[in-house]
Amino acid sequence: MNIEVDARGQACPKPVIMTKKELDNIEKGTITTIVDNEVAKENVSKLASSLGYEYKVDKGSDDEYYIHINKGEIQEVNVCIPDTFKDMTIVFASNTMGKGSEELGKILIKSFIYTIVETIPYPSTLVFYNGGVHLTCEGSEVLEDLKKLEQEGVEILSCGTCLDFFKIKDKLQVGEITNMYTIYEKLKNPTNTVTIE
Amino acid sequence: MIDRQFGVITFKSTHHAIKAESVFKNENIEFRTIPTPREVTYSCGLAIKFDLKDTELARNIVEENQLDIGGFFKVIKAGKESKAEKLN
Repeated sequence: MNIEVDARGQACPKPVIMTKKELDNIEKGTITTIVDNEVAKENVSKLASSLGYEYKVDKGSDDEYYIHINKGEIQEVNVCIPDTFKDMTIVFASNTMGKGSEELGKILIKSFIYTIVETIPYPSTLVFYNGGVHLTCEGSEVLEDLKKLEQEGVEILSCGTCLDFFKIKDKLQVGEITNMYTIYEKLKNPTNTVTIE
Repeated sequence: MIDRQFGVITFKSTHHAIKAESVFKNENIEFRTIPTPREVTYSCGLAIKFDLKDTELARNIVEENQLDIGGFFKVIKAGKESKAEKLN
């Protein structure tokens, strides 16, 4: 069985999504995805290798790549994480979201964290500093969500200096205590960091 | 990880949602304030999520406190598909 996915003219990440969908639909067999650019070719190939499937690329012409992906019988369970999320960091600089009303800000941040839990794939790291550390400590209304994320492999980091400042170091309920060096390492990829303040 | 089915109360304004949250906090019911699921169209952005087994309890709380709500909905998630039905 050979299924063809024509993803020419589709913007990223559409070719990957289309391919994944077809792969999910079949028990085994070969899927051939056709794309019209190098980046899409790379992304679809990465999808195949991240799922542990064999694949082969044929170049038709300058704007035609055929990626043949073979879904075999024995598969390792492997979750596909698009690259853009693999090292995504979300920073919580405060325990509220936005400025204008603290009451509203607290509700918004709860909503935001709930939405992270509901949306796959997950980011790799959540960093909490300044007032943000209240979210990882006793009394926070998002502890359950953060614990869930931690169980799913999301790294949860709270700034030690900040916990210390607010005298809540012993109240930390989820994740690890970190320092500015690690925080900088997590934030230094600006295309993949989102700051909530 | 994701509840397959749950109840949602929507509101016509954010202020009503915030007020409802403070009322619910004083009641013996498990709930969460969540962003209104996309499937539930007409409402403000915040909603109260509750366990469907507590539907009657939630209704009572709304009635007793005369909360101004948009409606009660049931959200059903199946895989990546998700839909909402109005609860009457």
